[in-house]
Amino acid sequence: MESKYAGYMGKVMLVDLTTETVTEYPWSDKERELYLGGKIMAARILCDHLTGKETAFSEENWMVIATGPLSGTGAPSSARFDISALSPQTGILASSNCGGSFGLYLKRAGYDAIILKGKCRSRKWLEIVDDQFIFHDADDLWGTKTGRCQELLAGKVSTKKFGKLCIGPAGENQVLYAGIISDERASGRTGLGAVMGWKNLKAITAAGTHTVEVYDKEKTKAWIKKWFEYLQKHPLTGSQLPKLGTAGLVSSMQACGLLSTRNYSAGQFEDFDKVSGETLAEEFNITNKGCQTCPIRCARTVEVHGKQVKGPELETLGLLGGNICNNDLQKILDWNYELDELGMDTISAANTIAWAMEANEKGLWDNGLKFGCVEELSAIFEDIAYRRGIGDELAQGSKCLSEKYGGKEFAMHAKGLELAAYEPRRAVGQGLGYAVSNRGGCHLNGGYLVILEGLGLHVNTQTPKAKADFTMLFQDLMETISASGQCLFTSYAFFPGFLLTKPNGLITRAVNAAATHIGWAVRFMNKCPRALALHLPVFHHTKMIKLALGMPMDFGRYIAIGERGYTMERYINCKFGITEADDKLPKRLTDVPQDPSNPKTRIPLEKMKRTYYAARGWDHNGIPTEATLHRLKIK
Amino acid sequence: MITVKLFGLVRLETGIRELQIEAADLKQLQKELTQYIPREKIKGCVLLLNGSRAAGNTKLHDGDQVMLMPPVAGG
Repeated sequence: MESKYAGYMGKVMLVDLTTETVTEYPWSDKERELYLGGKIMAARILCDHLTGKETAFSEENWMVIATGPLSGTGAPSSARFDISALSPQTGILASSNCGGSFGLYLKRAGYDAIILKGKCRSRKWLEIVDDQFIFHDADDLWGTKTGRCQELLAGKVSTKKFGKLCIGPAGENQVLYAGIISDERASGRTGLGAVMGWKNLKAITAAGTHTVEVYDKEKTKAWIKKWFEYLQKHPLTGSQLPKLGTAGLVSSMQACGLLSTRNYSAGQFEDFDKVSGETLAEEFNITNKGCQTCPIRCARTVEVHGKQVKGPELETLGLLGGNICNNDLQKILDWNYELDELGMDTISAANTIAWAMEANEKGLWDNGLKFGCVEELSAIFEDIAYRRGIGDELAQGSKCLSEKYGGKEFAMHAKGLELAAYEPRRAVGQGLGYAVSNRGGCHLNGGYLVILEGLGLHVNTQTPKAKADFTMLFQDLMETISASGQCLFTSYAFFPGFLLTKPNGLITRAVNAAATHIGWAVRFMNKCPRALALHLPVFHHTKMIKLALGMPMDFGRYIAIGERGYTMERYINCKFGITEADDKLPKRLTDVPQDPSNPKTRIPLEKMKRTYYAARGWDHNGIPTEATLHRLKIK
Repeated sequence: MITVKLFGLVRLETGIRELQIEAADLKQLQKELTQYIPREKIKGCVLLLNGSRAAGNTKLHDGDQVMLMPPVAGG
């Protein structure tokens, strides 16, 4: 349905893969005001559709590919799109964000989102060009790796310029942590590539003649210029991320005891500098690059097998570095590329390997894998993607394997999704985030509290105080940023630059000391967003929406949309049986101090969970109350 | 002798990975470091003494290791 707001294309299409027919899905301005777009829009659609009886590999598992209203307006870092469906890894709602070109081109085709239902009767790829949805046979694409597939698509689509996404062999063979690739970017987590593979859908392309309208062109242009300048001057978004990428975190994580090592049995890796962002920059990086419209440009370009390709992010460096006791950085560059080509989540693949190494060491599973012995890993990754030998078992992920062989206490996942590279026993708020994150063990969906707990600022890392309230605030802010189509990294400039350029200064030290004592103030912000009917000078996002879309927006409304999205995702998960019992972490993190001489270096999860549920308006069992669901207009 | 290790942009921009410095305390160490690194860059780093954050007047001993770490964020 057409919108009175700019930024939106006004159409959401329901694509029936079984019958190859397309109808419009009703979506009004009321929904746009409540959910904005992207992952929250997808959550609403799936909330209305899913009953709790569906499974990931079923025709009723709808896959929603949704853009945000700021995509195409020129707003900084606004090329991101979201893919949501039930995850085969977790059995609950999954949403995975991506910076590839597909989202922008989907809007050029005239659509804010597409919903894929059913299953193709044979192997297909889908071409979208304006109002045409054309199903093509994919027999000649099936079996190709993601790079080759995208090359072949260029020769097949009817337009010169187009956006694309595809799966690799891992998705085709339903590896539980298969991802979806768009250009060189990944919708990596939660196994949505396997869902697409089950649906017999190899790829989707989009192209078109539509343009994204902007409400107040002049003021939007001026605001974009101002925001670009702010991001480029900020120490995180203007210096660290462009010059070192996320790889720049390895050394700081090492210093803080946050670098997962030997399957999270420690937080520091002796050879960390061999796989650090500094070494990557000094010896391997060719240039940095970014997603469209992004001034931050955090991606690396490196050489692998004689080709210039996208380099690894922090997660891959950490989890294929110290976490498997590997200090060979070139190998990590190679594996990163190979995993993208195969279409697999590097985080889950790496964590599963680490679990398998420990299981072998402990005599639980004779798989031949050993910490530090990594010569055969390229072949192992291929075996996983093609489901050969032990690869067929490794394709199940650490949760399933630990249920079969034992070793649950060191299967490092939450709700079935393997954890990120941040070892949380030295950042207990991050531990809470992993446990309660809606999609499973995700550091970002979990709130990314490490930015307070040692990486950006340095609050008391071991106290549970205020952590639940900050977690909720950060989760909600990030939820709305994603829903608008923007990158989460734009939120890092929320911290005034001087706090970061003067970490030993009086004000920074005061902020660090006070932060864990102001949970009540953060709770107030979370509970009373209407009191925050203003624009904050350090948070440009709200005015961006107001000027580009013509939609009323302020900081309070922005948080409220995020809160609605987060609780709605939880509500969906509760339909599938998620309760407080599932918000847990491996015993290694809750029962075993990282430093044996300091009992505080483990996660006091239960205490933080109770505070978190109360802050969210969920009952003691972690289920959103009826009052909360009505207050948030979810019911 | 104190081993000083540099990380982040201060390492990239100076090209220095490691220094050996004589200093009795952290304050003196920071003063000595200005021979190699601009003062505002040093101020922009967190100083870790043998792995823990330390204040400017902390005494140093032979064999101590100091790391200069910048604030960071990522994903």
